[in-house]
Amino acid sequence: MQLDFQTRELTVKLVYYGPALSGKTTNLQAIHRLLNPEGRGRLMTLETRDDRTLFFDLLPLSFSTKSGLTVRIKLFTVPGQVIHNSTRKLVLQGADGVAFIADSQTQEVRANQASFKDLRKNLRDNGLDPARMPLVIQYNKRDLPNIRGEEEIMRMAAKGKEPTILATATHGTGVLETFMALLEVTWAHLEREHALDERFGLSHTEVVEDLRKRFARGTEAAGP
Amino acid sequence: MSDPNTADLHHGEIANLEDLIDRESLREVCRSFFDLFGLSIRVFSARGSLLANVHEERSLCRYVNSLGEGRIACAAIVEEVQGIVPEATTVVHPCFSGAVYHVVPIIYDDRRLGRIVIGPFIPSDVKAPPEAMLQIDPKVDPGRARAALLEMPRVRPATAERIAAHLRGVLDLILFSGHRAHLTSAMHLATVRENYRELAERNARLQEAYDKLKELDRLKSNFLATVSHELRTPLTSIIGYSEMLQTGIAGDLSEEQAGFVETIRTKGELLLSLITSLLDLNKLERGQLNIELEMVDPRAILAEVRETYHPEAERKGIRLEVYCGDDTPYMQADPVRLRQILINLAGNAIKFTPSGGRVDLEAMAVETSFHDEELDDGFGAALMMAPEPAIEFRVRDNGIGIAEDQAERIFDAFYQVDGGSTREFGGAGLGLSIAKNLVEAHHGAIHIESELGHGTTFIVTIPQAPPDPD
Repeated sequence: MQLDFQTRELTVKLVYYGPALSGKTTNLQAIHRLLNPEGRGRLMTLETRDDRTLFFDLLPLSFSTKSGLTVRIKLFTVPGQVIHNSTRKLVLQGADGVAFIADSQTQEVRANQASFKDLRKNLRDNGLDPARMPLVIQYNKRDLPNIRGEEEIMRMAAKGKEPTILATATHGTGVLETFMALLEVTWAHLEREHALDERFGLSHTEVVEDLRKRFARGTEAAGP
Repeated sequence: MSDPNTADLHHGEIANLEDLIDRESLREVCRSFFDLFGLSIRVFSARGSLLANVHEERSLCRYVNSLGEGRIACAAIVEEVQGIVPEATTVVHPCFSGAVYHVVPIIYDDRRLGRIVIGPFIPSDVKAPPEAMLQIDPKVDPGRARAALLEMPRVRPATAERIAAHLRGVLDLILFSGHRAHLTSAMHLATVRENYRELAERNARLQEAYDKLKELDRLKSNFLATVSHELRTPLTSIIGYSEMLQTGIAGDLSEEQAGFVETIRTKGELLLSLITSLLDLNKLERGQLNIELEMVDPRAILAEVRETYHPEAERKGIRLEVYCGDDTPYMQADPVRLRQILINLAGNAIKFTPSGGRVDLEAMAVETSFHDEELDDGFGAALMMAPEPAIEFRVRDNGIGIAEDQAERIFDAFYQVDGGSTREFGGAGLGLSIAKNLVEAHHGAIHIESELGHGTTFIVTIPQAPPDPD
């Protein structure tokens, strides 16, 4: 989190992490589509090669609050390919929350786990405590055959504390839920750490509700 | 995290218009606007720097500036306009002359990065100079003022808005592209630095491991040297006393005792030669072996080798022959070491050749180039691959042969093609390794031609004269 007292701006960094081709960019694209146009920034994709993100995607969102603070939320993806580890590490710097986008296909178990281990290592390398990092797990690609069953996922999820969400990002389902859940856990964490409500009159509900409204309008506009 | 090069990557922000925009290109864009609409344009960054300025002094302005009071009032207006920082929408600032300025904010990613000042121009509904214009200076001539006003560019307010929106759109495109390029290059740079850091770390770890291995190797060599030395001392006594027993110094031996003593002596000698080989190899690996060069007759060396193995070859029923052309010249080599090379190779050949087979020892004059392997890419080949006179020795047998994939490894110390052959044929697997080291000490080369089941030829090529030291 970055707080600029001069411009009264609060910037929160959320990172979408996960193995290659698990749908991180698709998530951002869907969020971008669902937001009503005036509140969203442009989705920027840095240097794509062979349809794969080489550096990151960046989606800025911002809105003013009653407290007079401007909240800026920056969504980043990391490049999933193993070789881009140094880029992942750099993008992860200063992250406030992480959405881990896993591939539901059963043959991707290893890739998911390897990427998650990589996340933990890179968080540690950046001086961030993985256990304290607000995290949401998304099981994406629910529309594909040979996927891990919902019951099984939920049974596994019950053993952890992170919200776990099923999604088909290409259809836009589960994308908002993931984002809102990530915002919830991240904000709760920031509130605990920085007492934003007490210090700046910036309430959790105000921020979450504000964003929810933007999406609501966006969804109406997009239509079914 | 305080690294200035990666700091802006944390949130992907850009702060300054100056960082993103090429002033020259911006000026050209503004120039084309000026050409299209006839409107003066100035672009300021948030810090107040003037990034582009395309304007012409207009008729009305020229007239105003020609009047003393008018010039002062005009300067005041210009200063006011420059001081305007619009929040989110265009600010329209009027001039006493009836003209207006539009000050348009440049907003990117919700940040005000600067502003565009368009004008002065006359709104299309203004037909005559306002009262303020006529009062600005005692010398104002209403007729001239009116004429000057009518010559000014005239724009409808809605059109002015559209022009501003268009200019903002163009700037936005430039900013977005610039922002992306800026982030990409910053990211690229940071990634390269991160990769470099990781590589440097890995190199340091490798260096550490390498140093450790080198130290271990040194300890191994020392250990070998010490142990071999300590083994040789009592062994020479064993051999010596066995010989004394054989000469009958300690009384006559029965036939059986003589046989036992003979076994003790020959096995002792075998052990001694093995230990000597170990010591040699050790010295060779440490580069401690001195080569003492003199003129050597290859034919004589081969004859000596044949002499050495003649009894053994005869016993095994192997034909051992020397072939050496009459024109084979003398060469510069260390005779002791050269003999050792050929003895090792010939011994090896005899060992792996079955009864009834043959082993040929050959020497001939050849021309060959002794170049480093790294020259194999042909770089400087015309110079470096020049052939020089050499002597080629061949030790050929028609024994069991060596598979192609083993051909390089057989020169490794203690290596035998398969564990089984060690037991069948004996030896510690040191002979070839020593031979290779000795050949290399002579700046020569050794290689193998072999066919499994049909025999092996070892080819040793040694320069007739050693190269000059570098």
